[in-house]
Amino acid sequence: MVILGVLTAVAFWIAHRVRVDLRYNWDWEVIPQYLFRFDQDRGAWVPNLLAQGFLTTLRLSLWATLLATLMGTVMALFRISRSLFRRMVGRTYVELIRNMPPLVLVFIVYYFISDQFLRAVGIEGLLRSLGPGAREFLAHCCAPVPKLPVFAAAVVMLALYEGAYITEIVRAGIQSIEKGQWEASSAIGLTRWQQMRLVIFPQATARILPPLAGQVISTIKDSAIVSVISIQELTFQGLEIMSSTYRTFEIWITITAMYFMLTFACSLAVRRLEIAMQRR
Amino acid sequence: MRRNRIIGVLLACVVIACSGALLAAKGVREELTGQSTIEQVLQRGVLRVGMSTFVPWAMNDKQGNLVGFEIDVARRLAQDMGVKVEFVPTKWSGILPALLTGKFDIIIGGMGITPERNLKVNFSMPYDYTGMSMVASTKLARGYKSLADFNRPNVTIAARIGTTAAASAKKYCPRAKLRLFDDESQAVQELLNGRVHALIASAPLPAFQALEYPDRLFLPFKESFTREPIGFAVVKGDVDTLNFLNNWITVVGAEGWLKERKTYWFETKQWKNLIE
Repeated sequence: MVILGVLTAVAFWIAHRVRVDLRYNWDWEVIPQYLFRFDQDRGAWVPNLLAQGFLTTLRLSLWATLLATLMGTVMALFRISRSLFRRMVGRTYVELIRNMPPLVLVFIVYYFISDQFLRAVGIEGLLRSLGPGAREFLAHCCAPVPKLPVFAAAVVMLALYEGAYITEIVRAGIQSIEKGQWEASSAIGLTRWQQMRLVIFPQATARILPPLAGQVISTIKDSAIVSVISIQELTFQGLEIMSSTYRTFEIWITITAMYFMLTFACSLAVRRLEIAMQRR
Repeated sequence: MRRNRIIGVLLACVVIACSGALLAAKGVREELTGQSTIEQVLQRGVLRVGMSTFVPWAMNDKQGNLVGFEIDVARRLAQDMGVKVEFVPTKWSGILPALLTGKFDIIIGGMGITPERNLKVNFSMPYDYTGMSMVASTKLARGYKSLADFNRPNVTIAARIGTTAAASAKKYCPRAKLRLFDDESQAVQELLNGRVHALIASAPLPAFQALEYPDRLFLPFKESFTREPIGFAVVKGDVDTLNFLNNWITVVGAEGWLKERKTYWFETKQWKNLIE
């Protein structure tokens, strides 16, 4: 209660200073209409730019997290593999990605890899020839068809980036399991794959989960970086509206609140999951 | 007789060779035509337009739709081609590489024709002219009346990165410090906060800002100090597209349509209630 009170007081004080010192005229009235608007034609409330951006951020983070977890797990298994080649592949991946600024990675993936790759596959023609049902489905769970190639590039880039960190999280989780567990499971005649699947991994999961949750939250926040390649996610939409309305502070604050809602919900969900797992 | 026959054979050879060359030339020409942007747009049925938000060239209205002078131009162009239009909002700083790597077909975004840009892309003939003007902070730059007043080492000028505004700031006020921003709104905020003396941007933005904040901003001089041609940008080596665009500009210019749209967006404020 005290902390909340102090925070609110500080917020009010800053708002007041901004108005007095910068003589900034706060005008919150323009914000709600950019969240939701009333569609006259359909007679219903529909999401407007900011809410659309929020949904794009959500889709982006979801796919990137799934892909990154998959990639991270595979690469972590590579890193602790007995084969020297696999260990080298895993190590190279992690060191390469982790030591590169994410912004540079975005541009490399967007301008070089995605363009060459997608053109070679001829994906654009394929996408444009899709039926309306498939289009609708893609628009709901990924991105509207014309924007799909760029969206895919963004998901791949985010997954590559976050995957490197997840690799290390999963590896650390697996390696933190005591050696005795490996030896004991080996003694009862399990193969290496069975040891991993039945004994080591279930124990490691409990240790992996908290840092993994942190990484998921990180993914959501890092997704803002793909606004530079004009993915219309929350930050990009916010910047666009700022360019149109010049309501800089109000829009940044709204965006921050929306990101916080998303990440805080994730934190709470993971907390629940951890408690549930401990109980079991 | 024999000589005649030899000549006949030679002639036949020449004819065959020539027609072969002609056929090859025709093949090359057809291939070029087929690969031109205009042809691909027609086949796809969609014109992909790269643009960036610049009030009042292109901006989001309350419904979340794009409106503005450039948007009108792009819609009319697509309509006249009989295709749909698809806008690809892109950061201004990365708009040229995005065009070159095929993220869209054409830039319709109030892009000023400069020799430097023209080395990388092809421009159509100008369909519009713009000029740079300046708005200054009352607190820091009171009494400044000309560009020379701002050309001092203790003056800071803001502009949007990668624009001709930034280039003209360097050119006309080389001694002043320059601060570059990704968007005009950030530059305006910096000016309102009193951390820069002046903002250089395409007219009419400075005048609009001075009207909106009369107590904090003022126009040091009324008229704009440069005149810049605005053209469509397309990839190089594509004559067909350039020819189409140039003639389209001539036609709609002759109709008076371009002028009418320009007046609506730049000299009236009837569209203001679309935004707020």
